[in-house]
Amino acid sequence: MEAPPVTVMPVTGGTINMMEYLLQGSVLDQALESLLHRLRGLCDNMEPESFTDHELVYLLKGQQGNPFILRARRSLSHPTAPWHLRYLGQPEVGDKSRHALVRNCVDVAASHSLPEFLNEMGFRMDHEFVANGHIFRKGVMKVVVSKLSRILVPGNTENTERLSLSYLVELSVLAPAGQDTVSEDMRSFAEQLKPLVHLEKIDPSKQRH
Amino acid sequence: MYDIFVYFCLFLLQHREEKQLEASVESLASRVAHVKNALHSFIYKLENEYERLAWPSVLDNFALLSGQLNTINKLLKNEKTPSFRNQVIIPLLLSPDRDEDLAKLTEQRVPVFSHEIVPDYLRTKPDPEVEEQEKQLSTEAARIGPEVAQKQIQALNKVCSNLLEKLNNPRDDRDTETSSLRQNKPSFNPADTNALVGAVAFGKGLSKCRPPGPVAPTHPGQGPMMSGGPTLQQVTIGGGSGQQAGMGGPGAPQQQGQPGKMPSSIKTNIKSASGSMHPYTRSLPQQ
Repeated sequence: MEAPPVTVMPVTGGTINMMEYLLQGSVLDQALESLLHRLRGLCDNMEPESFTDHELVYLLKGQQGNPFILRARRSLSHPTAPWHLRYLGQPEVGDKSRHALVRNCVDVAASHSLPEFLNEMGFRMDHEFVANGHIFRKGVMKVVVSKLSRILVPGNTENTERLSLSYLVELSVLAPAGQDTVSEDMRSFAEQLKPLVHLEKIDPSKQRH
Repeated sequence: MYDIFVYFCLFLLQHREEKQLEASVESLASRVAHVKNALHSFIYKLENEYERLAWPSVLDNFALLSGQLNTINKLLKNEKTPSFRNQVIIPLLLSPDRDEDLAKLTEQRVPVFSHEIVPDYLRTKPDPEVEEQEKQLSTEAARIGPEVAQKQIQALNKVCSNLLEKLNNPRDDRDTETSSLRQNKPSFNPADTNALVGAVAFGKGLSKCRPPGPVAPTHPGQGPMMSGGPTLQQVTIGGGSGQQAGMGGPGAPQQQGQPGKMPSSIKTNIKSASGSMHPYTRSLPQQ
C-alpha cells in the first residue's frame, strides 16, 4: 500500500518548517553612515543594536552528494549568551519571479560545549569568520549590516583582517513555508534603500566560480 | 444746521470704525488662540511622547502652525482691518496686587498687572539687537542704490522661478542626468557584494588553512593545502566523492593538536552506518 502523499499526512509533531527569505547587497565604507541613517529612519524606532559575532561553519562529508553544513555562531560582545546553531538548506528553485532567495532554515540555541560536540559527531570546521555591525528590525524583517573579517590565527578572534572594503547588507525574514507575500514586502523595502544599496537575490551556487 | 449734520456724520464714522476695530480685534484674538492651542499640543507631544514621534507628524505640526500664521497675516493685510498702528494702549492703573479677573482671563499666566509686566506685554518697539540689525539692513539697502537693488531682485526671481519649474515638471531625462552625476560617487561595489556573499555562503577566501593574502578566485586553497602536511592524505575521507564536494578544496580541515588517525576512524564509523546525510535520520554507528 502506498503512503499517502506528504501533503495530507497528519502533522504528528515537531516544528513548523521555517523558511528564510533573503536579499543581499553591499555598501562601501564611505556610504555606510548614510545607509545607517536611512535605516534608522525607515526601521522600527529602537536603539540600533550593534553586534560582534564569531561564526564557525562545520561540514559533515558523506560518501555522496553535498556535504552537510551547520553554522555555529556565538556573540563576542555577550560571551555568556548561548551559542546559536543554524541549518540552511539549498535555495528553493521554484518561481523565477520570486524576488527573494528562499531556503529552509532551522535555528536552535546550544550550550558552550557546541564545538566539541560537533567535533565528536564527526563534523569538521571548514571556515570561520568574525562579523560585526548593526542590526535593524522592521516588523518581521531584519536588516543586518555587517563587516566581515577573516581570522588569521585559528581560534584567535582578536587577530582579524577585514575581508573587503564593503559592508554586507542582508535583509531577511523567517516565515513559515508558502507565504509569498513576504517577498513582495521585502522587495518594496529594498526599493527604499536604492540607490545606496542594491539588495538582490544572489544565488550562492553562482558565486563559487 | 449744517454743523449738526457734520457732527452727526463724524459720529457715525467713528462708530463704524470702532465696530470694525472691535470685530477685527476679536477675529485676531481667536486666530491667536488657535495658534496657542496648536503650540500647546505640539509642546506636550514633544515633551511626553517623543519616543513614539515620527517625522511626518512633526512636519504636520509645523505645517499647521505655519498655516495658522499665514491666516493671521492675511487677516492683518485685509483692507477691512483698520490699521492697528494708529491705536495706542496706555496702562491706566498699575498695581502690585493680584487681580483675579485678569488671572482668570489669561489662564493664570498674568496674575498681576504691575510695572514689571508692562514693558514686556505692551512693548511696541523691537528688541535693541533686532533694531540694530534692522538699521544695518536699511543703511545697506540705501547704500547700494536702486539699480543694483533691482538687478538683485531680478536675479532672485529668476533663481526662484527656475527652481519652481524644476520641482513642478518632472522630466524624463532628469533621471539620466542625475544618474550620470551619481556615477562619480557609487555607494556600492558589485564585486564586493559577490565576494562577501561568497565568503558567507561557503567560505570563499576564508579557509583557515590558507595563509592570509590575496585569494585566488578559483579553487581556493588547493595549492597550500597540498603542502599542509603528510597527514592530509590519511584524513581525507571518501576519496573521490569527498573531493568533488568542492568545499574549500580537498581538505577536510584538520583539527590541530589531534592525531591524524583518530578523526578518520570516527568518521569512517559514522559514514558506514548512515546512507543519508541528514543527521536526524542517522542510526547509531555500528562498532
